[in-house]
Amino acid sequence: MKVSRKALGIAGAAGVLVAWELSARFLWRDAQVLPSPTQAIASAASVLTFRELAEHVGASLWRIAAGFALGAAAGTLLGVASGWYVPLARFVRPFVEILRPIPPLAWIPIAIVWFGIGEASKVFVIFLGAFFPIFTNAWRGMRSIPPVLLAAARTMDVDGPALLFKVAIPAALPDISTGLRVGFGLSFGILVAAELIAAERGMGFLVMNSRMLGQLGVAVFAILLIGVVTLVADGALAFGLKKLLGPRGAR
Amino acid sequence: MSVIPDTVAVARASARTRAARDWRDLVYPAVAIAVLLAAWQGASVAGWLRPVQFPPPTRLATSFVELVTEGYPEGIALFTHVAITLQRILLGYAIAVALAVPLGLVVGRSPALDALTDPVASFARSIATLSLLPLAVVWFGTGEAAKVFLIGYGCFWVMFSNVVAAVKSVDPTLVQAARTMDVAGTALFRQVVLPAALPRIFSGARVALGVGFMVIVGAEMIGTIRGLGALIMEARTFYRTDITMVGMAVIGVLGFAIAWGLERLEAKWLPWQARESRRGA
Repeated sequence: MKVSRKALGIAGAAGVLVAWELSARFLWRDAQVLPSPTQAIASAASVLTFRELAEHVGASLWRIAAGFALGAAAGTLLGVASGWYVPLARFVRPFVEILRPIPPLAWIPIAIVWFGIGEASKVFVIFLGAFFPIFTNAWRGMRSIPPVLLAAARTMDVDGPALLFKVAIPAALPDISTGLRVGFGLSFGILVAAELIAAERGMGFLVMNSRMLGQLGVAVFAILLIGVVTLVADGALAFGLKKLLGPRGAR
Repeated sequence: MSVIPDTVAVARASARTRAARDWRDLVYPAVAIAVLLAAWQGASVAGWLRPVQFPPPTRLATSFVELVTEGYPEGIALFTHVAITLQRILLGYAIAVALAVPLGLVVGRSPALDALTDPVASFARSIATLSLLPLAVVWFGTGEAAKVFLIGYGCFWVMFSNVVAAVKSVDPTLVQAARTMDVAGTALFRQVVLPAALPRIFSGARVALGVGFMVIVGAEMIGTIRGLGALIMEARTFYRTDITMVGMAVIGVLGFAIAWGLERLEAKWLPWQARESRRGA
């Protein structure tokens, strides 16, 4: 049953590709409106060198890595700290709660005002996108540790930093890792938007620029590339978290 | 991508954790915010903050009034921006939900269809919705249809995946019990599967609306001057950072209001499940 499920999935994906290919070639017959998958790959191959392509993907991944790393570090630290130390939460959470309903993309204009149109503004917006879910999940994870667990540890004379690092944080890890994955997924959507609006490199830029140059095939190729890179990166993060935290920690 | 729905859920969660009401929970945040605003204002007056980057809070207040009465750009009042953005979201969202719910119900009930569509759906979800903007412009022009398409695309896949997962999570004994009582076909869907799956479908609907809200702000930043996303981008272009900040605040309030409204609807329609699905979101 398992094998056939996989086979069905491949069949489904292949079916969509074939249907797209055929309808693009025989129904629309205009690669400037709907390029077929093979036309998209062919036009990408004729316009882009492998090196250029690697540069675009690399630029995007670098932005993600920088913004996500900052957001993950700040979100986890602040989230765990405010979950552990209530007075801190009283100061931190109001600001987080006020700013969080603003979608990260709405920060793009102000990021450009504050940081210019260079790398810093994109990294900042990705940072925000990652920060909020990671903070919230870390905080929630810390707040929902069963009190019995902490009380039991205390009766065994585990207190202070040991209680935090050996008992509380491990108990909150599943929530923290959920936050990391949600934040990572958001990072990608935000990255592409930021690159569409202001960039001169990256996968989002490639989509926008190809469209402006009239190379719709390249744009379609870049869109598919974004999907593939997102899937691979998300899979890699899930795998890494599982390795790092064990099957219990990453869900 | 549950940025917006989370807001309310967390607010509620925090309300639960502070079972014993503590005066400090109200006073400390109020003081912190007041201090920040005062410091911001003071630093602006003293000239430490550049008004182009950090217009002082008092300036933001007058800009808000300007935005409501005169509008920005000239003649397009705040109300118009809000109405246009909401209209785009609701249209795209409604189309997505109308398609995703029936399709998801059918696919979720059939293991073969589920296996067939799963990779395609995961891939479609992985494509950042906004990257489709150039294609949407080619297909639908620069008008409303392209924006509605993008919102619809973003909402559809999130909604579809949630409906499929919701149907798959329906307890099989429920379905078997109904079958033994000769309930089959559409009656089985309407009377057994749908009600049992409804809580998770609803939480999917909230997440999808959050996605729609996110997509519209980005989509409006390109090639239009109406709508909240356009407002904040246009204001930036003309160095009206004050308007940009006010616009962001309005977007935040709107996002919060939408999440709160859905939360209330859920509590009203599914009182027995509201808490459960809030957790799952």
